[in-house]
Amino acid sequence: MARPVPVTAVEGALERRRWLTIPLVLLAGVAMVIGLVVILWGAALAAVYFGGERTPYFASDSEHFKYGSIGAERDSGIPHLAWQALPRLFPETFGTAEQQAAARLRGQGAYNAFGFLYEPASTGKPEPRDLPIGISRRTVRGVEMVWFNCAVCHTGTAREADGTKPLVVAGMPSNNLDFHRFISFVTSIADDPRLEADRLIDAIETGGERLGVTDRLLWRHVIGPRLREGLLARRAQLGPLIGMQPAWGPGRVDTFNPYKVVQLAQRAGDPPPEQWIGASDFPSVFHQRPRDGMQLHWDGNNASLEERNLSAAVGAGLVLEHASTADRDAIRRSSNWLLDLAPPPSPMRAGIDGSAVERGRALYMTQCAGCHGYQGTSGYVFDGAELGRVVPLGRIGTDRSRLDSYTDAFRRMQREVLGFSHFIKTDGYANQPLDALWLRGPYLHNGSVPTLAALLRPVHERPRYFLRGSDIIDRERGGFRSETFDTAEACEAAARRTRGHFCFDTRQAGNGNGGHEFGTSLDEARRDELLTYLRTF
Amino acid sequence: MSTTPAPSFDPAEDPIFTPLRFRNLTVKNRVFRSNISGRFDNDDGSLTQTRINWESRFANGGVGAVISSYVPVAMHGRIIAGYATIHRDDFIPLWDKLGQAVHSFDCRYIVQLSHSGRQMDLPGVHNQHRPSPSSTSRKESLHGFLCRAMGRGEIERLVADFARAAWRAREAGLDGVELHAANGYLFTQFLSSAINDRTDLYGGTLANRARFLLDVIGAIRAQVGRDFHVQVKLSAVDHNNVVPWEGKGNTLADTIAVARWCEAVGADAIHVSTGSLFPHPLNPPGDLPLEVLAVTYDAMISSGVDSFRNFLFFRYPLLRPLFRWLWYRIKGDRGNEAISIDEARAIRAAVSIPVISTGGYQTASVVREGLSTGAFDGVSIARSLVANPDLVRQWRAGHDQPAKPCTYCNKCLFNAPKNPMGCYEEARFPSREAMIAEIEKIYHARPHLRVPSSAEL
Repeated sequence: MARPVPVTAVEGALERRRWLTIPLVLLAGVAMVIGLVVILWGAALAAVYFGGERTPYFASDSEHFKYGSIGAERDSGIPHLAWQALPRLFPETFGTAEQQAAARLRGQGAYNAFGFLYEPASTGKPEPRDLPIGISRRTVRGVEMVWFNCAVCHTGTAREADGTKPLVVAGMPSNNLDFHRFISFVTSIADDPRLEADRLIDAIETGGERLGVTDRLLWRHVIGPRLREGLLARRAQLGPLIGMQPAWGPGRVDTFNPYKVVQLAQRAGDPPPEQWIGASDFPSVFHQRPRDGMQLHWDGNNASLEERNLSAAVGAGLVLEHASTADRDAIRRSSNWLLDLAPPPSPMRAGIDGSAVERGRALYMTQCAGCHGYQGTSGYVFDGAELGRVVPLGRIGTDRSRLDSYTDAFRRMQREVLGFSHFIKTDGYANQPLDALWLRGPYLHNGSVPTLAALLRPVHERPRYFLRGSDIIDRERGGFRSETFDTAEACEAAARRTRGHFCFDTRQAGNGNGGHEFGTSLDEARRDELLTYLRTF
Repeated sequence: MSTTPAPSFDPAEDPIFTPLRFRNLTVKNRVFRSNISGRFDNDDGSLTQTRINWESRFANGGVGAVISSYVPVAMHGRIIAGYATIHRDDFIPLWDKLGQAVHSFDCRYIVQLSHSGRQMDLPGVHNQHRPSPSSTSRKESLHGFLCRAMGRGEIERLVADFARAAWRAREAGLDGVELHAANGYLFTQFLSSAINDRTDLYGGTLANRARFLLDVIGAIRAQVGRDFHVQVKLSAVDHNNVVPWEGKGNTLADTIAVARWCEAVGADAIHVSTGSLFPHPLNPPGDLPLEVLAVTYDAMISSGVDSFRNFLFFRYPLLRPLFRWLWYRIKGDRGNEAISIDEARAIRAAVSIPVISTGGYQTASVVREGLSTGAFDGVSIARSLVANPDLVRQWRAGHDQPAKPCTYCNKCLFNAPKNPMGCYEEARFPSREAMIAEIEKIYHARPHLRVPSSAEL
């Protein structure tokens, strides 16, 4: 049938245009559908990548303490895949691939190079868990990030002898962790060519992870560059501080100075200069309930458990203004668990001379218990007139650097910026309860005295150079075994020979081993009795 | 500007009322009724008593000459079906009658010989089935009117059509002809560098693009001789880029050259307008009453392939600002009166024949100054005369402006596709009824009705 003649030329042209228009409209329709699919796909990806946050929940409080998130990953963390890839990129720090594989067979993950502790992934097998104790994970804007929780500073190990299986003790000071070396490493790699996105992606995939197209694009153009920028920014903040401080050594941390430069944007070196040295031992965190109301921290600058804990979380990397209710709940959960956490009893009680213990106890009760409480038959007794109170520096005489690192100006900033209201500036150090004393060596706030035996010696007899980093119990001296030296050179040489050991030089700033000379004038017999009693704590 | 006569005013010394002497025609004053019309006539092109009334109205108002509305020389050159044509010899008596009517008011009558080319607003039954002949096959830019490039034979035949139409005008006793080579119609489509895309003798260089116009002038001279008035209306500047992606077209320098060539081949005067399409932001200058177009433009929807798009712009207020921006970006801050006076002055300086300027004139002092300073020799007026057909009388009485001047609202123009021609500015009238009565005055035709013979049916 002949097609009808159009009424007008315009109608004819429009009809012809329609024949052209129909395929064009169809094409446009297809393009729109494809576009819509791409948009929906993008939206779905965005929802996956950028929507909300997720972090594993642990049914057990102890698992939560060791592996649960307190929110620090959000602003301070690094991507989990990058965390896993770094050991492959930096063998000079983590060991060769073969060395790492051998370590895994011994139950140690790569970050054990810094003293991080690993537990077995499953019972009966040596293969370590993916992440060490104290490292938690959280998916933030679609990227799984990892960073610190409370356990990183408060979980350590102890063992009877070299070659025996260590006892992992949550709540004791992290006697293995060399935080200073870890931070130095993390900030040093910021401009290393090996952290370039493509090499990082290769290292991730070498580990068995297969990145899809989207993930590769994100890693190349977003996550990789942002990781690097974040590390560069962190190096800009921490680099000058790290550079001006003596190495902390394992089991020690400068609590407030990194906090000042990272959280409060202070510049390392600003006056007063003495504030920038402040490394001290990680504390134990057992028995928090009886500590409530005591002057907490080494210098006793805060009597609120809750605020002290929140401040510690900030030190671990939590940015308070971004903190969620869930973060605070997670911190509270760990805090609650620690309220009544008891340490394992001292193994040195076994086979000990009971009468010597009694004599030592009698001496302790007259000389020490008023300040430190005492070890009773069924546990530690947190009772003493001066327990948990600050003793002026002039009386205690220990190294003042830690005290000076907490300044009144910093206290004001904590109040104004972070809203902390319980901090005070003190003039000395607080009397600490001595529960779990066997797990807390080396001693004094700055860990400057290797053993209890050394602590009961006059200052001039205390070791000037000794090795830190051992977790082997020193049954004789109390604390952990620690080889001492007459010269720094010998000490340094010994430290280099033994992985994980560090030469502690008491002559360096912040490392002074003076003060707390209580008991140093006792005769040998009474000193031994006192030491015998102390080894049961 | 004042509406009261100046005490010392003497019309005898007023340049406006000084006769304008062309080579073959003398007009009693310097005011011409410019081409404007409604759909007054029969569908076959024969004019009606309504047209005679329309033209006589302005003659009666005192203008020196009436330039007819656009008058096609061929049925395929109509812009709007319903306008009188001059394509048939048997229409000569009708035009003769019109001439007599205008002459009776001591006014001259010049027929504007025209061809729409692609600018065909309402093609009517004669033309709706085919693309319009043009210099190009590219559709018109604003409405999407379809067209096709004329062949050489068609051009030559159309040249002859123009000459024959001029001959009819002379035979009808009319006083002259004007070639409408402005405002986007066929001559513009040849002249404009932005429209003419030909590669033959009629495209390319300016001389080639002007060939069709110059051939027509020559052919007219050959038909009517040297003693019949022939003038040419040109757009001084094309400003063709109303639709932004179109080229700008001819410049003033181009038009000056064309004007000189027109004079050389026998034109007696140049009538200066502007713009390469109609309507144009600069012609007629004034408002853009889109609310009027929203109810009249629908008559043109079927005329072009892009006209429905335009209708949507007019119909939906949210879209109107876009069209207004498109329209007014060319006009800028130019006023409405004497909008092309500078171009007229430049062309007058370049030729030795009189120049008539158009563009919103309705203030005597403005016209007077233009005449005195040599900007032009006369002015042509359309809208201001539609508003005040006795404008010239009011000037003669010494008023600088009429008591109720034209507001340049352009409602007269934008009602044209659908409604009778007239002033639709209701504010100028005591009531709507009075406005309608004024518009319909010209329909008081009182024809001598008779019984047709069977041969006529």
